[in-house]
Amino acid sequence: MAGKSGRTIDATVNTTWKNRIFSWEGMLLLLFFVINIFCRCISPNYTIINVLREMPKYLCEIFLLFPMAYILILGDIDISVGSTVCLSATMACITCNAGLPFPVVILVTLLTGMVCGMINGLILTKFTELPAMIVTLGTQIVFRGIAEIVLGSGGSVSLSNTDGFRAIAGKIGPFPYVFFIVIIAAVIFTLISTKTTFGRSLYAIGSNSKAAYYAGIKVQKIRFIVFTITGTMAGLAALFLTSALYGANTTTGSGFEMDAIAMAVFGGIATIGGKGKLLGGIISAFIIVCLRIGLGQINMNPQVILIILGTLLVCAVLIPNISGKLNIRKKKA
Amino acid sequence: MKKKILATLLCVAMAATMLAGCGSESASGNSGKKTYAIITKSAGNPYNEKEAEGFKEVIESIGAECIIKHPEAATADAQVSIIQSLISQGVDSICIAANDENALQAALEEAMDAGIKVSCLDSKTNAASRMTFVNQAGVQEIGQALMDAVYDISGGSGDWAILSATSQASNQNAWIESMKSIMESDSKYANLNLVEVAYGDDEPQKSTDQTQALLSKYPDLKVICAPTTVGIAAAAKVLQDQGSAVKLTGLGLPSEMAAYIGDDAAHSCPYMFLWNPIDVGRLGAYTSIALVDGKITGKAGDTFEAGEMINSPYTVVGADDGGTEVILGAPFKFEPSNINDWKDVY
Repeated sequence: MAGKSGRTIDATVNTTWKNRIFSWEGMLLLLFFVINIFCRCISPNYTIINVLREMPKYLCEIFLLFPMAYILILGDIDISVGSTVCLSATMACITCNAGLPFPVVILVTLLTGMVCGMINGLILTKFTELPAMIVTLGTQIVFRGIAEIVLGSGGSVSLSNTDGFRAIAGKIGPFPYVFFIVIIAAVIFTLISTKTTFGRSLYAIGSNSKAAYYAGIKVQKIRFIVFTITGTMAGLAALFLTSALYGANTTTGSGFEMDAIAMAVFGGIATIGGKGKLLGGIISAFIIVCLRIGLGQINMNPQVILIILGTLLVCAVLIPNISGKLNIRKKKA
Repeated sequence: MKKKILATLLCVAMAATMLAGCGSESASGNSGKKTYAIITKSAGNPYNEKEAEGFKEVIESIGAECIIKHPEAATADAQVSIIQSLISQGVDSICIAANDENALQAALEEAMDAGIKVSCLDSKTNAASRMTFVNQAGVQEIGQALMDAVYDISGGSGDWAILSATSQASNQNAWIESMKSIMESDSKYANLNLVEVAYGDDEPQKSTDQTQALLSKYPDLKVICAPTTVGIAAAAKVLQDQGSAVKLTGLGLPSEMAAYIGDDAAHSCPYMFLWNPIDVGRLGAYTSIALVDGKITGKAGDTFEAGEMINSPYTVVGADDGGTEVILGAPFKFEPSNINDWKDVY
């Protein structure tokens, strides 16, 4: 019987060429190409230039996917990231309007996110019996509440000086800066999860945190680090989101946490922990973004788009389950 | 191996169904027709839908193409994605009911840079993000009408409360500010006491909860003023179902409010106001057309013809925020004597 992680000796030995192609990630990559061809067929405006131009707002959510994948692999969850984005974006606008130099604005934004993440991390590691879902549900409300108080009665703030944010919203050719940063972050986060002790610890903790603890892994320290990284990435997302909006309001970033979780789960990362690869999450994130852009361009009703994405997600969760049952039946036979 | 085959099959099946499902909807090509887009605040907002209906009617009457876009949520974030998508499609104009004054600036500036004529209707953006704004009625006129209604219904004194939409809806806030300043400026309103501004977020359930909270918090409450169609309908139902003595006024849709409007104790709303959202949409369409045709540029002093509309020709005037606006007219009063004529219209 394989562990929850599925990382049995059998499973790790034969990573042949063929197995790689037919893996979940391989299927997702295929789906990515299918989706792109499909979108190109239905919309004459689905060109590389247009897709890249529409992408920055969606890319902000992908920043949240990376740490969210780590958290899910740990077997935890963080539903406060959307509110962290809101609070960080609010701080970004306010410090920028206060006339502080742009590097300071960046620093404040990232620090705000980091502090939010640390608060989550502290509560969860000091009181380990608390479920992450409930704690982050609480901080979700708290962070957004603070943002609403800071924003005041109007509930909205605009940038009076947009120079700095205009600069980070710039492009090299058709590629926005944020695209490169997402790619760099994707490479770093993927390498950490696959090639380092830290990455392997994540899977160990997610599979069985007690066993990991007795094996000498500093479980709580790693959880704290991951939650802090999550907050910091939320700050980064807020920075680029602000550059796409030139303002912040009380609804900024709402629903981002669920989008990030959906991308990760669609990518094959199980919410029970210890299972799945970040690479799958990244590919599925781009699938979702491309599908949204393509269907948006043919003016499909956004509620229908949401239904399609929801259906995709349910299918993605069902497939491994169904095939698992089939395998069990085969073994019994 | 079965897992892989299943996954492959599913991918293919999904792609096939989607191709089949959407194949019939051919995208609006470059057929030389002008394309005018309207973006609403959210799907399922009856008021916005009526505006879109009026907009579409005018655009199609001149033989142009009309795109109606509803965002997936009532947020500025969702509207930004839609604006980006419309830029990709190369539309000629965008008319938007903004969910936030400021957070659409980057996207709308990009649209204007791409040569798209941007105007707002219903709820405006900041001056830098638009060329002009189709205002359903002057803020002052609405504030005055609502304040007088509260004064009249309460009998000139007592506690009253406001049930608004979201705390950042720019039109709601402008009206509320206007009511507050009218109340302070005239001693006639000195005996009226505004106890709270509650926010129902334009969601029926939340508006219902907020109404009930107001009733339990303030036992001496006399009047609730809800300048939002969702809020007033929710509050009207609560008050009427409970047989409460609290009366209601505000801005509401006749079709939704017909059952609650009446002078007797059995009805919760003696009278209310609104303008014709279909006309707001129509004026939005005429404004978009005039902008695209180059007849106006959105500067104060520009005038344009608006078909068969009552106040045509309209003039672009300066707005309080430094931008410009086109004002539709004064709000219309719906009372027991005329509600039956209007409830089937919208």
